[in-house]
Parts: sequence; C-alpha cells; structure tokens
Amino acid sequence: MTGQKTLQNILADIISTVEFNHTGELLATGDKGGRVVIFQREQESKQQPQRRGEYNVYSTFQSHEPEFDYLKSLEIEEKINKIRWLPQHNAACFLLSTNDKTVKLWKVSERDKRPEGYNLKDEDGRLRDPSMITTLRVPVLRPMDLMVEATPRRVFANAHTYHINSISVNSDYETYMSADDLRINLWNFEITNQSFNIVDIKPANMEELTEVITAAEFHPHHCNTFVYSSSKGTIRLCDMRASALCDRHAKFFEEPEDPSNRSFFSEIISSISDVKFSHSGRYVMTRDYLTVKVWDLNMENRPMETYQVHDYLRSKLCSLYENDCIFDKFECVWNGSDSVIMTGSYNNFFRMFDRNTKRDVTLEASRENSKPRAILKPRKVCVGGKRRKDEISVDSLDFSKKILHTAWHPSENIIAVAATNNLYIFQDKVN
Amino acid sequence: MEFKLEAHRIVSISLGKIYSARGQRGGLKLHKNLLVSLVLRSARQVYLSEPCCPPEPPAAPRALPEEPPPPCAAAAAWAPGEPPPPPDEAPRGGPRRPGADCESARARRCCCCGCCCCEAGGGGAAPPLPCCSRKRGAGERGQAGSPVKKPRREAEEPPPPPPGEQEDMETGNVANLISIFGSSFSGLLGKDPPGRRRAPRDGGEAAAAAPAEAAAEPGQICCDEPVLRTLNPWSTAIVAF
Repeated sequence: MTGQKTLQNILADIISTVEFNHTGELLATGDKGGRVVIFQREQESKQQPQRRGEYNVYSTFQSHEPEFDYLKSLEIEEKINKIRWLPQHNAACFLLSTNDKTVKLWKVSERDKRPEGYNLKDEDGRLRDPSMITTLRVPVLRPMDLMVEATPRRVFANAHTYHINSISVNSDYETYMSADDLRINLWNFEITNQSFNIVDIKPANMEELTEVITAAEFHPHHCNTFVYSSSKGTIRLCDMRASALCDRHAKFFEEPEDPSNRSFFSEIISSISDVKFSHSGRYVMTRDYLTVKVWDLNMENRPMETYQVHDYLRSKLCSLYENDCIFDKFECVWNGSDSVIMTGSYNNFFRMFDRNTKRDVTLEASRENSKPRAILKPRKVCVGGKRRKDEISVDSLDFSKKILHTAWHPSENIIAVAATNNLYIFQDKVN
Repeated sequence: MEFKLEAHRIVSISLGKIYSARGQRGGLKLHKNLLVSLVLRSARQVYLSEPCCPPEPPAAPRALPEEPPPPCAAAAAWAPGEPPPPPDEAPRGGPRRPGADCESARARRCCCCGCCCCEAGGGGAAPPLPCCSRKRGAGERGQAGSPVKKPRREAEEPPPPPPGEQEDMETGNVANLISIFGSSFSGLLGKDPPGRRRAPRDGGEAAAAAPAEAAAEPGQICCDEPVLRTLNPWSTAIVAF
C-alpha cells in the first residue's frame, strides 16, 4: 500500500506544461496531479550578482481536481494540459489553466501588508462588543511576510465534449479560445456561462471522421486570425471576420507526402502535435513526430524550412508504435527573436536549430550533466557504423525519458525544460 | 510474405490498443484511437492485398513472444473472456459469448494473462475492467457483432439526451471489432473461406448470423477473408466516439 501511494505521488509530479509569462519574470508549470507551480526570477542584487536570474518557487496551488462525470461514467483527469498567461496590467498576475474539460482563470497576487486596528474586531478576529467601544480609530496597513495567494476568478466549464488540447489568449486580451479534438470555442474572460463555437469539424456521421484538431493558437497581433493543426499534418488559418463559424479556412497549409517514406505509420507521424506562431506573426512552426517545420503564412503548398529532430527513429516506428511512444506529443518553441527554435526528444535530449546559421545542437537535461553553472555539452546520437566515445547509439536511448514540454524566455536566452518530473532551467552564461 | 506477417502483427497490436483504451482513466482518447484505427486499416489492407496466404507457421506472430506457440492462443488473447462482453449476448459481467469457441481450457488460461499481456508492451495499462462501464441500449442487441453492417453507436443511456443536455461522446461498440477478430485469427491464415458471406448491403441479419454460425461449428474459421474484406475496422473503432 505504501509503495502504491509513493508511486502516485511520483506520478502526480510529472510536468505536463511549462510557460513563461510575457516579461519572463514568472515561469509556470502544471503537472499531472493538477497542481500549478509558479517560479519567480530573482531580482538583480549588487550583493549577490551571481544569483541574478535564478528562479525560485513563488506560488503553488491546486488548480484542478479529479472529477467524475456521473452521466458518462467517466473520470476526468486533473492533469493540467496547458497554461497561458495574460499580460500583466497591475500588481496581480492572471493565468489560464486547463485540464481535459475545464478552463480556469487564476489570479496570483501578493500580499505584504496587513490591516491592523479594526474597530469592530480585535487582532485575533474576535468580534468586539460594540457597547465597549469608546473611541474610533482608522486601521493602518502594516508590513507582513510576503504571502502569495492564488484565487480562482473564473471557471469556464461544460463547453467541451472532447478533450481540450489547447488554449490561446487573443491579442485583444478580452477573449481566448479553447480547442478540443473536434471543436474550438471562443470565450470572453468575463462570461463563463457562454462560449461561441468557431470551429466544428465533427462529421454528422462519426464513422466518417478522418481527422481531429490537435492544436490551435491565435495570431500574436491580429485578433481576428488563428490557426489550428490537424492529425493529418495540415494547418488551417482562419479569419473570424469572414463568418461566425470558421469551418472554411482562409488558408490551408499542407506538404505533399513523400511516397518513398510511406509506411504503416505515415499517418501517425504526420500528425501535428504543436503549432506556434513566431513572435513576428509572419511564420508558423509545427511539430510532428520526426520533424519541426516552419511555414511562411504566404506559402501554403509546402513549409519554408524542415528540421529533422530524430530521423534515426524512422526505422524504428513499429517498436515505437508498440510501446506507444509514437503517440508522444512534443511541443516546440521559438526564441524571442525567432532566430532559434527548440524542441524535445528522447533520452532527455532536446534540440535547438538556428534558422540563420542552419546549425543545430543536441543537449541533455540530466542531473549528472547539470551542476549549477556547468556548461552543457552537446550530445550526439550515433546512427550506424562506428560509435565514437561520446556518442550514444540509438538502441541505448531511454524512451521513457522524454522531453515533451519546453519554454523559452520572451527576450533572453533562458530556457525551461521539463524532463518527466524535473524542471531544468538553463541560461546563457553571463559574462 | 513478410509484409503479411508484419501486417498481421500490427493488426494484433492495434486491436490491443483499442481494447485497452477502454479502461483508461480520463476516457477514450479520440485522437489516439483514430490514429490506431488508421494503422489498423492500412495493415489490414496490406494483409488482404498480399497475393498468397502463408502456410500456418508453427509460431504465429504475436505481440509477446512468451505466449505459448499455437496460433489460436494469439487470437485467444483477444477473446473477450473477462473483459466486456459483446453487447448482443452476454449480460454485463457474464460469461464470454458462445461464439468465442476458440476458447478451449487452454485458451481460457491464455486469455487471462492475455488480457493483461495483450497490450504488446504498450505501457502497462491496467487490465480491462470485467464489466463494461456503459449500459447498452436495447436497440443494440440485435445488431452487435456485425462485421458487415456498420455498428450503431452505443448510447450512454438508452433514451436520447434531452435537448440542451451535454452532448454525448458516443463512446461505443469497440467490442464488435474485438469479438470478430477475437474468436480466431486462424481465419487470417486459412486458405479457403468456408463460403462467401452475403454482400455487406444485406444488413445486420446476415452479419448477426455469422457469429452464430461460427458458434455452431467449433473450430470453424470464425473470421475469414471475405468478412475481413467487408469489415471496416476503422469505422467500427471510430464509431466508438
């Protein structure tokens, strides 16, 4: 019994999403147990310059709990699928977190002062007898130890029949969308009992279903534009001005299949697991099982750039299908200037591709390699022939150690990498 | 030949995934099951389009090498023994359906461990629950087990949800698929089918008769090529949603 409980605790800590806020000061992680942990960057301090830029735990709260849908006899997992920050306008921060069915808006605020000197209650909170009060005083705010509180401000529920895979905040900061396998809904932050359905690809006859929505995102600047990706490897760009229901796309991005690569698993590996607009809004990046592609919004017939993440897995697809790894959903991220893209792989490896120099690097997130301030050494996978000393052979890769979620600071070279239940934060060396 | 064996193996693995998906926490994942059913369809097409049927190999390809050799065992691993019975016959939690005649005592033993093992090493999901968690509508009973007629959606509760109610995920009748393939994989390897089935358009009656016929003749090929041809496992699996 004890063993099982321990196992559950371990499982509950698997990180399922990582996201920097708009300034990069805060980093939020969500885990399989429904918890959100927010890290805050240390302020610069003259006394301890070497500690600049370290992230420490700022707030932890339980965002979602497991639920049971009695009508369908279905358990609803509490795992946090995505977190998205809202831009900050005042001292408080807001973020959206979602599990499979319900999106919640959380307010995270600091309290470092406490009012003292109430008239009607004493310092312990006990009510005073009004007849005993002879004088009035004005309560004053006194400093207290910093307390960070998270409160749920909105709960957006009951709008998704299928599992939510994405949420995206609109650039108007008034609306956001949530996408499940077959539908995308548009919400207003203030209204929780209504949402507009803007995409619906559910066929009248479910037997005719051929593809599902896998990810969706709003354009960073144009509040009427969004994209969604599908399990068939296509991307659709939609314009909400065109019609209320955006079932007809404005643009359709698809690369013709390479017939020489056809296999039983061609369809699976072409399924897009993540889609991200560049910060500029000019490009869209997609991740499928073996590659990352960068698309120019003005060119629909093929991607502008294709990067091989781990092509050595192509010959192993059958085994990866057997052990379910082929269904892993890797995410991808842009750096602040859109010049470098990053995505995860197996064996706790993650890859970065420099779009300008066309150079790429493989790095590993592991405790052994990551002493504080140690420099990460590039790794290499040996695909055949003689294995060099530092290389690792494909058959030695640990497929249980996968990096699905990564995040890049919006303006600096700081990255957050989630390796199962560990979070690694790497920074460029500051000279 | 190799393609055929590979296709056969992939079909087994895929069925296992669809099957084990029923018990997983959080409900059936539409995306994953769609992908699995696409693979299943591709593998099935390859299998059926391969020119010759190989002679029955001494050890049929199967997901786990430690299963005992007889080909029937591989199929028996799929036979719905413990797991949810097909809707038209066994009551909830009841004994396996009469049509699953490949289940000799030996197969029964295989089945118990087969249920757990049959996920082809895929992640150690919990063994499927013995009772399906869904009630089955009365209307389903006559048509389940049909390899030719597209199975009806299984209703969560028999009456349709009142308007304005939350939409049903239409989780349904994957057991159809399992029961068809589950009785015997020897049909995939056998040479001549016992007789051509009627055309798919005939509807549920012909199909419903098929498992019954199979039940009447133990050892008879339960799942022969024409049935395989007409079955659209992709749609069957997807109808689950």
